[in-house]
Amino acid sequence: MIASTLSFAIFVDLAGSAMVILLSFLSLRFSYFLAKRQPDNFLWGFLFYFSIAMSAFAISRGVGHIARQLLVLNNHVDSWETLSPYSGGINTLLLISVSAVTIYYHKGLAAYKIIRNEAEKLAAANLKLADTASQLQKMNTYLEEMVEERTRDLSTSEKKFRHFFENSKDMVYFCNMGGEISDINTSGLHMLGYETPPKNFNLLSFFKNHETLERYLTALKENGFVSDFELELETRDGTTRHMLLTANSILDRQGNMIGCEGIAKDMTRLRNMTEQLINQEKMASVGQMAAGVAHEINTPLGVILGYAQLMMDDFDEKDEVYENLKVIERQTKACRKIVADLLKFSRQSESAKTAVNPNDVIEDVLAVTEHNLNINHIHVQRRYTPSLPMVIGDAEKLRQVFINLFNNSAHAMENGGEIIITTSHDQAADKVIVTIRDTGTGIPDEIKPKIFDPFFTTKEVGKGTGLGLAVTYGIIRDHGGTVTVESPMQDSATGEKIQGTAFHITLPIAGKEQNAINE
Amino acid sequence: MINRITISISILTIFLLLGLPGHSWAIQPHGEPEGMYVHQMAHVLFLGALAYLYLHTRSTPDLVSRGWRYLRLFCLLSIAWNIVAFTGHIVADLHGQRAPGAPLDIVEILYILTRMDHFVFVPALFALMFSLRTFYLEAGEEKAQ
Repeated sequence: MIASTLSFAIFVDLAGSAMVILLSFLSLRFSYFLAKRQPDNFLWGFLFYFSIAMSAFAISRGVGHIARQLLVLNNHVDSWETLSPYSGGINTLLLISVSAVTIYYHKGLAAYKIIRNEAEKLAAANLKLADTASQLQKMNTYLEEMVEERTRDLSTSEKKFRHFFENSKDMVYFCNMGGEISDINTSGLHMLGYETPPKNFNLLSFFKNHETLERYLTALKENGFVSDFELELETRDGTTRHMLLTANSILDRQGNMIGCEGIAKDMTRLRNMTEQLINQEKMASVGQMAAGVAHEINTPLGVILGYAQLMMDDFDEKDEVYENLKVIERQTKACRKIVADLLKFSRQSESAKTAVNPNDVIEDVLAVTEHNLNINHIHVQRRYTPSLPMVIGDAEKLRQVFINLFNNSAHAMENGGEIIITTSHDQAADKVIVTIRDTGTGIPDEIKPKIFDPFFTTKEVGKGTGLGLAVTYGIIRDHGGTVTVESPMQDSATGEKIQGTAFHITLPIAGKEQNAINE
Repeated sequence: MINRITISISILTIFLLLGLPGHSWAIQPHGEPEGMYVHQMAHVLFLGALAYLYLHTRSTPDLVSRGWRYLRLFCLLSIAWNIVAFTGHIVADLHGQRAPGAPLDIVEILYILTRMDHFVFVPALFALMFSLRTFYLEAGEEKAQ
């Protein structure tokens, strides 16, 4: 019984010692991997050192127990007694070491907690920072997208307005307070006579009328805008353009005017057309009135002339009464001439139209008048188109037209000059164009609209009736043509101004007119 | 400050050595029971350290996972083992004074029982191993997350 108990105790001691060594090393292994997995965790470090101390203790104790059993069983008790104090001493030391490591745990854990708290705070702060950074990134991305979208919209809008600005047929401009143009579209440049903006490009310098300029500036300053403002601009080549302007002041943040922007429409062509229409209407009215007056006056004049001539037969030519009757006859004839002119102007006189060559008609007139012109130092240049088509017209009346125009030219060149006669065929319009140009004084702008009015004259009283151009106008209109005046002339090649006046007459060619008559 | 303390201690030691000659002048001898006493004190120290570790881990709110429960089991079993070992050493002394062939008494029974301390110590180390293994696996899961 004792022997079996002793054997069991020995077995338990040997197996237990071995198990202790094995388990302590397994513990050491796990603690090693644990500390390696989370090297910053103090607790795992503590358990690792604790496991080392326990393993050392287990080895010391286990080896001691196993050695004792083996030595005692093999009758080496003496050896064990020698070895025993060392084994016991080491055991004691290692027990104290394990205890020391365990006690050390307290301080270490406290320090670790502080560090961990700080680390957690730091981690939380980092997390918050990362979150904020993420939000910022999102906002930034959103902002970038928004900026891109806005930029895209802005670019589209800019293109749209740039396209409108560049392609507008009206003048669109931006200028500063002093009128210096900072930006202007191509149409505006062309209107002012430029291809590229010159230096010192000032809009105000193009204003033709000083009073208009003052009204424009005052309206901009006081109202902040001008709307449908009519003005005349004198372009680079001296041409006058009638403009309809709408402009707004540009204000700074304080509401002070720093410039203006505007759109101006060129109304020159419309204005000219309107003036022509008005003129035509006026001339038609005047013509009707003249016709009425002429008819009413013509009969009494005939009676006065008849009676005067009858009475002249009753008196001797040397008699004073006869002389008076002669004056009555002469003045009555002059009145009849005026009445006849009025009827020509109002197309009431009889007309015999045939196919005539304008070159021949002009030559007929020059045959009579050129001599007188030459006496007055006026030379005639003929620039005829040889194969000019025929026109349907009253040769007598057409001669009257050219006589009137030559007289007008002679009147404008009292000190001599040149009359240049040009005839041409406008195939596109099927018309013959005759231009009578002189190098005279020209016609001022303010009287240009009145020159075709009956009885309008710049000659002294008694030197002209003022019916010459009115009759010319009436005759040409009666022929289905037009007569226009240009003064001063513009050289088509160089664009320069040439002093003098040119009358442009257009007459429909014969075939066209003949067809119209037939219809 | 440290230098002053060091100088003061040095001067005091010299005075004590010079003023108190006699028994203290020689190296203190260590008798036979001293080793056993130190060993027993080590067991008590280890027991106290384990008790402290047990109580501290139990009262710390953060240390509640399964691994810490295994560690506290290790502490309890190790405390028990220390008690057994401590008792075993005393009993072994008494057992040595017994006459050979003496009848079975409490000393003999205790001697035999305390010799079986592996029945306590091996489970304690099992608990330690499981504790560390659990920590290791938990750390792995934490890392995986």
